[in-house]
Amino acid sequence: MIASPLSATPLFHLGPATITAPVVTTWGIMLLLAGGSRLLTRRLTLRPSSGQAVLELLVDTIDGQIRDTMHDDPARYRVLIGTLFLFILAANWSSLLPGIEPPTAHLETDAALALIVFIAIPWFGIRTRGLRGYLATFAEPSLLMVPLNLVETITRTFSLLVRLFGNVMSGVFVIGVVLSLVGLLVPVPLMALELLTGAVQAYIFAVLAMVFISAAAAPQPARAQNETKDRTS
Amino acid sequence: MHLDWSTLALQTVNVLVLLWLLRRYLFRPVAEMIAARRRAAEALLAEAAEKRRAAEAAAEEIARREQGLAAEAEQQRAAAEEGAAAERARLLAVAEADIARIRAEAASAIRRDRTGQRRTLEAEARDLAATIAARLLARVPGAAVSAAMLTSLAPVLAALPAEQRGALGGEIEVVSAAALSPTEQDACTALLGRVLSPPPVLRFRVDPRLLAGIELHGTHAVLRQSWRAELERLAHELRQEDEDVAPVLA
Repeated sequence: MIASPLSATPLFHLGPATITAPVVTTWGIMLLLAGGSRLLTRRLTLRPSSGQAVLELLVDTIDGQIRDTMHDDPARYRVLIGTLFLFILAANWSSLLPGIEPPTAHLETDAALALIVFIAIPWFGIRTRGLRGYLATFAEPSLLMVPLNLVETITRTFSLLVRLFGNVMSGVFVIGVVLSLVGLLVPVPLMALELLTGAVQAYIFAVLAMVFISAAAAPQPARAQNETKDRTS
Repeated sequence: MHLDWSTLALQTVNVLVLLWLLRRYLFRPVAEMIAARRRAAEALLAEAAEKRRAAEAAAEEIARREQGLAAEAEQQRAAAEEGAAAERARLLAVAEADIARIRAEAASAIRRDRTGQRRTLEAEARDLAATIAARLLARVPGAAVSAAMLTSLAPVLAALPAEQRGALGGEIEVVSAAALSPTEQDACTALLGRVLSPPPVLRFRVDPRLLAGIELHGTHAVLRQSWRAELERLAHELRQEDEDVAPVLA
């Protein structure tokens, strides 16, 4: 019997809060990412080691994606976008470990991620454009679009949530069904496909977050031109 | 569809905590290291550019010095050429002066040689003339010659100024080429007694070198009326003519 993918298994209670399996898995992922980062960045030098070179390549690639997608300085968005990508990737790939169910296969985790993006959009928009400028984006291209833009703000966040949840949960569910029917080795190709799906979903989530934030926090035309000159020079 | 709000809250907090952790332990140090490396690379490039500019400046300085050295070498060469020209002119002047001096010395030597040769020739000519005159006189009687000389002595004495005749003095030595006979001595005494006043005291002496003729050796003057005296006068006149011509030849 396969448990419902829509429900999380409670493991224990911590005061009034119920600690479920996705939360514990998330803690493990946090420990892995933060501890690994702490270990790898203890002795950074101008002449990088192999591990440092991989880290720098990762950060530089994230910066490049941010720069290409948002056409803005990547420093302001690096932490949010990089963390979202790394966490979702690690969470999706955690399904490779026996007995571990990826946190992103549960609605609460994806909702938490979407909620953070939902809050980040006005946060960066107001920081960049100011409150009036940010609110003015809802009236673009005309005032008639205000209701639709307001709805779109919610629906696109909801689409983030549903897209990630649906892809990861379906993959886990399909692998569980196949595993229960035909045995041990048959799901292996599906698990490999799930690795690719997990990476693509992490990338898509990060890119969509960048697009949504960029739409709200698009730089002013003059500023954009200056930064374009900086990049080309 | 059930949503566990406590799990949602916990996961939201978890992601926010992860944001802080990765910001602190991953993105910030790595980004700072990338920026530090970029700054180091830019500093290195700036240093390389500065060194390149310095090298270019040094190369320009070297080129400028080379040009300066070339110009200095050219000046030194020109100065050396001028010095060589001046030294050559000085040497030429010295050489010309030496040449002029040597030519003058040669001309002087030639004149001396010519004078010596001429004197030798004159002496030889005088001796030859004396020899010829002696041989000729040997064929003429001595008395006739003495008489002729005495006869020619009279107008000479008469033509002399009075003070010169007085300078002959009161005692006169009469020198003749051949010994005068007593008659001739008396004639001579008579002649001088007529011309000179007071009449001198005469002493007679023979000197064959006179060849012919008579010489009167007074106290303060000598009257030479002999062939030797004539020969010497001729030789003196010839020498005078040669000395007048010599500067023109030199």
